[in-house]
Amino acid sequence: MSVRTQGVRTHRAASPWLFLLPGLAVVAVFVLYPFLSTVQHAFTDARTLTPGVWVGLRNFEEMLHDPQFWTALRNSSLYAVVVVPSTVLLPLLIALLVEKPLKGVVFFRAAFYTPVVASVVVVALIWVWMLDDRGLLNSMLETVGAGPVSFLGDAWLVLLCAMALTVWKGLGYYMIIYLAALAQVPKELHEAAAVDGAGPFRRFTTVTVPAVRSTMVLVGALSSVAAFKVFSEVYLLAGPTGGPAGEDSTLVMLVQRSGTGLSGRVGYASALSLVIFCIALLLMLLVLRADRKEKTA
Amino acid sequence: MRTFRGTPVPRPARTAVPLLAGALLLGACGSGGAEGAGSAADGKVSGHITFQTWNLRAQYKDYFNGLIDEFEKAHPGTKVKWIDQPAENYPEKLSADAGGGTLPDVVNVSPDLSYPLAKAGLLMNLDKEPVTAQAKRDYTPEAWQGNELPGLDGAYAFPWYLNTGPLFYNKALFKKAGLDPAKPPKTYDELFADAAKMAKSSGGKVATLAGVPAIEDFGRYGVQLMNADATKFTYNGPRGVELLTEYKKLFESGGLDSQALSATPESAGRKFLQQRVAMNPGSAHDLANFKENAPDLYKNLGITDAPADTGKPNMYVMGLGINDRSEHKAAAIAFARFVTNQRNQESFAHQVAVFPSTKGSLDKPYWTKDDGTDEGRVRVASAKMLDGAVNYTPVVMTDEMKTVLQNEVAKALQGDKSPKQALDDAVAQSNRLLQQG
Repeated sequence: MSVRTQGVRTHRAASPWLFLLPGLAVVAVFVLYPFLSTVQHAFTDARTLTPGVWVGLRNFEEMLHDPQFWTALRNSSLYAVVVVPSTVLLPLLIALLVEKPLKGVVFFRAAFYTPVVASVVVVALIWVWMLDDRGLLNSMLETVGAGPVSFLGDAWLVLLCAMALTVWKGLGYYMIIYLAALAQVPKELHEAAAVDGAGPFRRFTTVTVPAVRSTMVLVGALSSVAAFKVFSEVYLLAGPTGGPAGEDSTLVMLVQRSGTGLSGRVGYASALSLVIFCIALLLMLLVLRADRKEKTA
Repeated sequence: MRTFRGTPVPRPARTAVPLLAGALLLGACGSGGAEGAGSAADGKVSGHITFQTWNLRAQYKDYFNGLIDEFEKAHPGTKVKWIDQPAENYPEKLSADAGGGTLPDVVNVSPDLSYPLAKAGLLMNLDKEPVTAQAKRDYTPEAWQGNELPGLDGAYAFPWYLNTGPLFYNKALFKKAGLDPAKPPKTYDELFADAAKMAKSSGGKVATLAGVPAIEDFGRYGVQLMNADATKFTYNGPRGVELLTEYKKLFESGGLDSQALSATPESAGRKFLQQRVAMNPGSAHDLANFKENAPDLYKNLGITDAPADTGKPNMYVMGLGINDRSEHKAAAIAFARFVTNQRNQESFAHQVAVFPSTKGSLDKPYWTKDDGTDEGRVRVASAKMLDGAVNYTPVVMTDEMKTVLQNEVAKALQGDKSPKQALDDAVAQSNRLLQQG
């Protein structure tokens, strides 16, 4: 008996690490190494087929003088400013609608979730057909005597359409997260507020929102990171040039454009990736800090 | 401590490790080239080699399998593994192979793809080895020159098939606009005049072109694209500004499609298929597509040369490069020569609407006599265009530089910049990228 106890004690410290080892190995190879490699490349002039030499901060200096970088930064920031509040609020409202045990509500839950499982490429192509000069939307506009509107020919409209696509596609995903959070809100709180004379809006602001605030913070953090990483929607709607005159380029599109191909500027693309990483990290920290402050207040 | 070309690169700071949580936010950007020299070019033809084509398996599987069988029988001890890559992202696939040291022994390349590979020392300089240099006499001088790379002193791929860029036009739309369908525009001035008429008569509903001018347009307009040693872009001269100014007028008059500023070849092709634009550049490959997906368009299809004020049309060149680090270089060379010899090139060009690059092939009746079919008409017209054709796209011009030009052109067309300013900026950005190597 004492021998067995001794054996367990001996391995107690190592056991968790042994269990973690396969996962850690995957993370080390597919996350840690690429991450460190990207950081390293950011300070070199490496290209796709030629290893670079150390150039210090030159890539970052070049970025400051690159008008495409500022356009991309503006677009990614705008994306975050528009998409994040939308993906924090709209899915919550939808979740409130579909959480009620009404007849046929399952259909609506499934309908809202469908875009999440659909391929972004397929969805974007459908949107392209819809938004085309002779697409569904313009046909509808023409029947009421308006339009045509060049949704895909105007840089601002392309960006707005891409934002709408991102929000629409993400609604179902965040709705599910909110549904899980709403299920945890005690019904008694709503009943008590109703007894005190609070109407639906008042109950939403004083009971629902505080109860799901942590989830809202989580959704905010996730969607802000996703907004800065946006690529597919803008690429598919605006095309590989980043829309008319490249005015719709986002930071990740810039990484793709400068870092891929046989002559890709890997060093510069890595520096851009590092900047995206820092911005996203900063955003997450800000959101989490704001949440912590409110909790302690 | 890792080094790049002997210069030490500090190990990433230990403080970076806590940032691991966010590492998922970063994409990995790899680089590097294979090491080691290949075998002798004039050695024994034997061994296992890999042969990579670009989007050819789906339709020409039997042809290539037949070629491989014949080659293997003629050279006992050789084995050819055929790999075919899809049309999309071919440069990315090549760069992954090159970076991973797995570049095929014989690889299908166009000059713009062979340039970075050759520059990185991954493709064999055919002019340097007697066994390959003597092959020069079997191909047309234009095709061999098409595979010569500026600053690298030699040709880096055996010429394979050639293609021209015929310009398709919709005769019905021409007729509707009061234009003569039998007389499509031959020069840019004629193009601009026809496009203005088309836009006016259709009330802006039918554009003539779906895209903005590319570097080939500047070339065909007679603009000097680069200096003699291909170290600087020069398309911002008066002639280039003149062309862009004309395009600006065309855009303002509705002669260009409203989505032209961010058009891709695919989106432009779609608009032509839907008969929303009257003209579109393409290749002989497109005919089958028109026939199947747009029979109405096919009935009214006109085929002409792209306008060229220089009198010389554009030519697309495909070649077969040899991996300079191949362990069976002699076999790779023999196979590439076999695929690109006169008999096999002509045989391939009978199966697909391309043109052989071997000397004398295009003088044969198949490419000189119209057999009365639509395909025959296109074939003879395109083959005729090849005489004196030029590959206008500078091989040093990367995709990023092409995007720079397209975006600056778009700024000029939108009126955000003057044509002169836009071209000056495009040239400055492209030259900066060029200097970075």
